[in-house]
Amino acid sequence: MPSWQFKLYNIMNRKKTFADILTYLFLIIFTLAALYPVINVFTISVRPNDRLLSTSLSIIPENASFKQYIELFTNRPFLLWVWNSTIVSFVVTVTGVALASTAGYAISRFKFVGKQASMLGLLTTQMFPATMLLLPMYIMLIKLGLINSYLGIIIVYSATALPFCVWQMKGYYDTIPMSLEESARIDGCNRWQAFYKIIFPLAAPALVITALFSFMTAWSEYIVAAQVLQDTSLYTLPLGLKLFQSNLTTEWGLYAAASLIVSIPVVVIFILLSRWLVSGLTLGSVKG
Amino acid sequence: MRPEEKNILQRQIDEYMKLHPGIKIIQLYKETEEMRSGYIVAAIGGQGPDLIYGPSDQVGPFADMEIIKPLENVFSKEYLSHFNEKALITYKGHLWQLADKLGNHLTLVYNKNLVPVPPKTDKELIEIGKKLTVDKNHDGRIDQYGLVWNYTEPYFFIPFLTGFGGWVLDSTNTPTLNTPAMINALKFIGNLRDKYKIIPGEADYDIADVLFKEGKAGMIINGDWSWSSYGNAGINYGISVLPIITETGKYATPMVAPKGYSININVGGGKLGQIKDLLEFLMSPEKQLETAVEVKTFPSRKELYSDPKLANDEIFINSKNQIDHGVALPIVTEMRAIWDAMRPAYQAVLGGVITPEKAARQMQDEAIKKIKEMREDYEDPVGRTIVYAIFLLAIIAILFFTRKSIIAFFKNFMRDRFAYYLLLPAMLIMLAVIMYPFVYNLILSVSNMNLEHINDWSIVGFYQYVKVFSEPQFYTFFVKTIIWTVSNIIFHVVLGVTLALLINRKLPGSGIFRTLLILPWAIPQYIVALTWRGMFNYEYGAINLILVKYLSMSPVEWLKSPVEAFMAVIITNIWLGFPFMMIIALGALQSIPKELYEAADIDGAKWYHKLKSITIPLIKPVMIPAITLGVIWTFNNINVVWLVSNAGEPSDKTHILVSFVYKAAFNLYRYGYAAAFSVVIFLILLSFGLTFLKRTKATESIY
Repeated sequence: MPSWQFKLYNIMNRKKTFADILTYLFLIIFTLAALYPVINVFTISVRPNDRLLSTSLSIIPENASFKQYIELFTNRPFLLWVWNSTIVSFVVTVTGVALASTAGYAISRFKFVGKQASMLGLLTTQMFPATMLLLPMYIMLIKLGLINSYLGIIIVYSATALPFCVWQMKGYYDTIPMSLEESARIDGCNRWQAFYKIIFPLAAPALVITALFSFMTAWSEYIVAAQVLQDTSLYTLPLGLKLFQSNLTTEWGLYAAASLIVSIPVVVIFILLSRWLVSGLTLGSVKG
Repeated sequence: MRPEEKNILQRQIDEYMKLHPGIKIIQLYKETEEMRSGYIVAAIGGQGPDLIYGPSDQVGPFADMEIIKPLENVFSKEYLSHFNEKALITYKGHLWQLADKLGNHLTLVYNKNLVPVPPKTDKELIEIGKKLTVDKNHDGRIDQYGLVWNYTEPYFFIPFLTGFGGWVLDSTNTPTLNTPAMINALKFIGNLRDKYKIIPGEADYDIADVLFKEGKAGMIINGDWSWSSYGNAGINYGISVLPIITETGKYATPMVAPKGYSININVGGGKLGQIKDLLEFLMSPEKQLETAVEVKTFPSRKELYSDPKLANDEIFINSKNQIDHGVALPIVTEMRAIWDAMRPAYQAVLGGVITPEKAARQMQDEAIKKIKEMREDYEDPVGRTIVYAIFLLAIIAILFFTRKSIIAFFKNFMRDRFAYYLLLPAMLIMLAVIMYPFVYNLILSVSNMNLEHINDWSIVGFYQYVKVFSEPQFYTFFVKTIIWTVSNIIFHVVLGVTLALLINRKLPGSGIFRTLLILPWAIPQYIVALTWRGMFNYEYGAINLILVKYLSMSPVEWLKSPVEAFMAVIITNIWLGFPFMMIIALGALQSIPKELYEAADIDGAKWYHKLKSITIPLIKPVMIPAITLGVIWTFNNINVVWLVSNAGEPSDKTHILVSFVYKAAFNLYRYGYAAAFSVVIFLILLSFGLTFLKRTKATESIY
């Protein structure tokens, strides 16, 4: 019996069959609802003549073709944008994970002057409407000579992602018992070793979320990049995609095709990181 | 600018660079509104591109702000005499922009297979329209319309206003919107829809465009940018001058917007010569002709109008006819206020909420009010002193109240240094990025920075705050923002946690669901938000179709009525946001030791007991920060509202606070006011954050 059949056989025999069926039903309905607009985007990408809408609801339109995808890879600097975005997002992800895991740990584990203030301070940075911060941020980057360079946007993106990541890490560390470090210290670890050898690996699910979030921040950001990057050879994906768009004459086919392709790396990274997000092994084995 | 236009411009620039090695020219394309706001920011910062290209109505604001150079001393009188006078954009006695194209003019585009001879008058238009608007398969739905166009947008309404003898402003830049012409024009559009029934009940740009491209509309009113796309879609189209309105005997006259170049104020003397040389190359008769022939734009050089390559072209002839029956788009900054004032009242008439008479009055009053706010010239030395005094007091107070902490910090630094080292990098980066912009905005919020004071603004006290709180709409939008935020967060969290729990049961295939369910988060927001807008369309959208076909409900006017439009925006954002909460919850669930559930099973606990006493308390530490930030982000989320409701439609009723400040303040360059408004939003969120965190004890550890 192939393994999936075996699994299926197992399910049928479980007592909770009814609950399982309900679970599947709910998941299927929900996944369909989640997917429908995405499928619409696919339809736009294969529809001829740049039409955003259609009066027909068919998923595969008349005269469908993949020529937008071919155009994207052959005649447009799409791969360059992918590459640029990958570099920026990678650096932001590494920075985000490194800084958030340490800062979150400090807040979760230690009592010190300014702890509450720094936590609130992080939150307050998110409260100001972002569009208003653009002008002064731009003036500042000019003064620092960071216009038209990745360093500028990497710093800004890291700062954008950090508040959430730090809070998130802090919340997760909170669920890990202090006794673990205490026993590590007794075994001869110093404070730093106790953190990165014991606690850091245990926080894997939160690290995954921090990484994903940092990545997405950089991968999809448009407004700051549009102001800072002026050389088209430095363009990141959102800037590149925007080139297909213009007032009333957007190249919808290309835009839709590119949008779908842009979401693939996010999904791939998610799949790769998923084993740490859902394993459930990490804590169960040491807790309780 | 259409892609073809971008390409040909790039080609010509490349040619120029080949002729002049050593000169490098970069063409940087941005969408009109975005280019303008980006350019303003850059030019105020002392940077920006040397040349800026775009429709003529940007000249007003740019000249008011003094961020472009007058051109009359750059080009000779003789040189300028070769141009169509509509292409020389003057304002306040100076020449600011030199156009290479005339365009953006609306014309009547007709499908030759359906309309053999285009209508000359509104009577003929209605006759033809009635014949073409039919329900072919007798299912009670119209399958083909006589006329379609983006009639909810004021720019597309202008030809009828002028046709009835009206106009938007007089020579002193005072609005002239409350006139019999306006009322008649409003009634006329209403009649086309309700009395003669030759246009669809709901039509924005994309719907109109698609109906014509699919051959389901006989005629469309659209601009020169769209023509070639109809040919590409296989429509045998012709263009014709917009019809005469019989009642007045006047042509329906569209606006004509020249497009051309202005020079950045920051360009130094030496570079000016080079720029002039480049412009003369790009605007030479050969280059203009090349562009006109290839991408069907209308050149600004008069000598080209008789060139056989153009003069025998049917499209060119009709385009020229329409331009001759066109009126120049006003370039004064007041025009922005007029558009903003027209839109809500106009859409309210179409929605049947107010009468044309009332709408005309409302437009006029709003326009006058907005212009007054935009041009405000306010100074207040007393207010300035008060601000300085409060600032001083605040610093003293902060030092006084934190004195113990400051002393404790130095005393305990050695003991706590490990924590500080861990925290330092993150804090440094945050401070570096946020501090300056934040303080800058605080200062702006007590200043008078606006169109009149872009570079010479001064501190005026709390005037802008008074304005914020005396804006009657502030309170309506505040309530809407609360509804928006609360409903989004509730759905995000409930859906996210439920889905996470289900996926976490690790049934076969849950990995597939998990991956598919994050797609709404992974895909770029812009296009899916617009896709959702399409799904909400009354006649062709998927949502109404499901409601009618499968749930036998009556269709909902999602985008036309304020309540439903707001619901549509919320639904879209729920869809966009639930995967994020799902991922967070999934991570949080991993921190729960399985032994706890096993112990509960032994005690015979039901699932809801386990949920209540194990799951929820244990995922709380991770969920609370996510929820707090979720609230803050949703409160300030401008994108989805903007895209799905098309900037607040209908009638500016679907705004939340941020989108309102963006439209009311940014659009009219009221930077001081916008800053004060933002500080108010900040304070609202700050008080929320403090209360919420205190309530949930999120800053404290659970173990």
